[in-house]
Amino acid sequence: MTRAGTVAGVVAATAALAAPLFLARGALNDLWNLALAVILASAWNLLGGFAGQVSLGYSAFLGIGAYTTVLLSLRGVDPFATLVPGALLAALFSVVIGLPGFRLRGPYFTIATIGVGEAVRVAASSVSFTGGSGGVRMPAGSFDFGRNYLGMVILAIATVAIASVVRHSAFGRALSAIRQDVDGAESLGVDSTRFKLAAHAISAALVALAGGLYAINFQYIAPGAVFDFRLSLSIVLMPIVGGLGTIVGPILGALVVSTIQLKLLELPVLRDSYLFIYGGLLIAVIMFEPRGLVGLTRRLVAALRASGPRPRAADAG
Amino acid sequence: MPAEPLLSARGLSKRFGGLLAVASVDFDVARGEVFGIIGPNGAGKTTLFGCLVGALKASGGEVRLLGERIDGRACHEIARRGLVRTHQVVRPFREMTVEENVSIGAHFGRASHRGGSAERIVREVLERTGLSARSPALAATLTIGELKRLEIARALATSPLALCLDEVMGGLNPGEIGGAMALIRSIRDAGVTVLMIEHHVHAVAGVSDRIMVLNFGSKIAEGPPQEVLENPAVVEAYLGSEAPIEAA
Repeated sequence: MTRAGTVAGVVAATAALAAPLFLARGALNDLWNLALAVILASAWNLLGGFAGQVSLGYSAFLGIGAYTTVLLSLRGVDPFATLVPGALLAALFSVVIGLPGFRLRGPYFTIATIGVGEAVRVAASSVSFTGGSGGVRMPAGSFDFGRNYLGMVILAIATVAIASVVRHSAFGRALSAIRQDVDGAESLGVDSTRFKLAAHAISAALVALAGGLYAINFQYIAPGAVFDFRLSLSIVLMPIVGGLGTIVGPILGALVVSTIQLKLLELPVLRDSYLFIYGGLLIAVIMFEPRGLVGLTRRLVAALRASGPRPRAADAG
Repeated sequence: MPAEPLLSARGLSKRFGGLLAVASVDFDVARGEVFGIIGPNGAGKTTLFGCLVGALKASGGEVRLLGERIDGRACHEIARRGLVRTHQVVRPFREMTVEENVSIGAHFGRASHRGGSAERIVREVLERTGLSARSPALAATLTIGELKRLEIARALATSPLALCLDEVMGGLNPGEIGGAMALIRSIRDAGVTVLMIEHHVHAVAGVSDRIMVLNFGSKIAEGPPQEVLENPAVVEAYLGSEAPIEAA
């Protein structure tokens, strides 16, 4: 299973990297969007899926990355060089939220993160150096789609690779123990706060890197776009639809949700009703298969295996 | 008796609102000892363990491990210093295998083993607790007897100096109790000091070097098993009369 998964991953990564050689610009744009979705979903899953800490404030990290990139680029820094300070700033901010936030348990942490996300959006709209609610534009002459595409795809590959390494490490096992029974984990020597802070910081940094690349490609950002609560919601939706706490799940979820976003929502009828679609999707997953598409696939495979040998037995008889 | 006890408590108290669950308890446990703690239901035994390992914050008094104060420290830090407890109601990581459960203790406990040596510790502990054959099974599929042993195995994998066992024999049949007693002796023989809460008086008397009796949060007796079980105050606490307890 894991070996097949690795092979499939390498094939998909190679295809995505080579895509500019044979795909048209429109298709590449869709792939760029998919790569962004994969990063957001897989990075969120590090904390939300592995450690079970559901945050609804991830737009804050995307926005921090995007704003760092635009504001530093306007001061003459090379756009790609702004990615690192953006990631560091987001990681630092994640620790500042996490230190008080991780003292809260269950839904209280989630509720607190909604407040944090909104507070950051309001702050970015009100202060002058961010350009206020009108947003800011990248300096002219810094656009190269080919480079932007490769940047996003490489980050997506790196994010999935990091998630896979974490999941199979002692660190990942500690996160899983924390999710299942935080007191039990503590009683065996697991410093739950430190591990939650570490997972939060890694995922915040990855999301901020994606935010920077987003700004470089979009050229224009505003608080209403990058600090949007609906963005935080769709970040959470993807790993839940795909399968929480797995490697493939967030990728599948990103595929489904970004397809819905790009294809369905282009229809004017559906543009305003996408929250109903998201809500319906969430209810369907939670009611019928809480482990998402990954769980559904496993059930189908098990069912096929169970029904497989029967005809053979009939042949033998 | 060595000059310095491995674990000592002085004036240890825990108050829940108006209830004094542990009332100024003093005791010392020597290295390599099996120290039994008995008492009627609600005597404060589990609360005492909670205060020792830092799962509960003591309301007063102090706890020393190898002479150093550990009261007020976080549970994970006390575990890393070598004082670990098992839970009366078992709480395995149900979505992990037996092997993965035990590896948490090996990776993050006192010795914090990494890579190959963690694997070796896990293998040894599974062997000692008789769980080797169940190593790839999901914890959720274990029987109660196996879950009790898994609870001990995880704690043992942290390489503790002292292990606090909270009713590991509860719910076991007579044959399994014999196995549990042998396991506790083997843990002691491997150099780990054992504190054990047990309702099963015969079993605790059979393996303990000394026994402490709690009643309504206070210590009412302490000493060798036979002597303690014949103590009139202990008999009174258990039976409310003068009928003797049959000790094994």
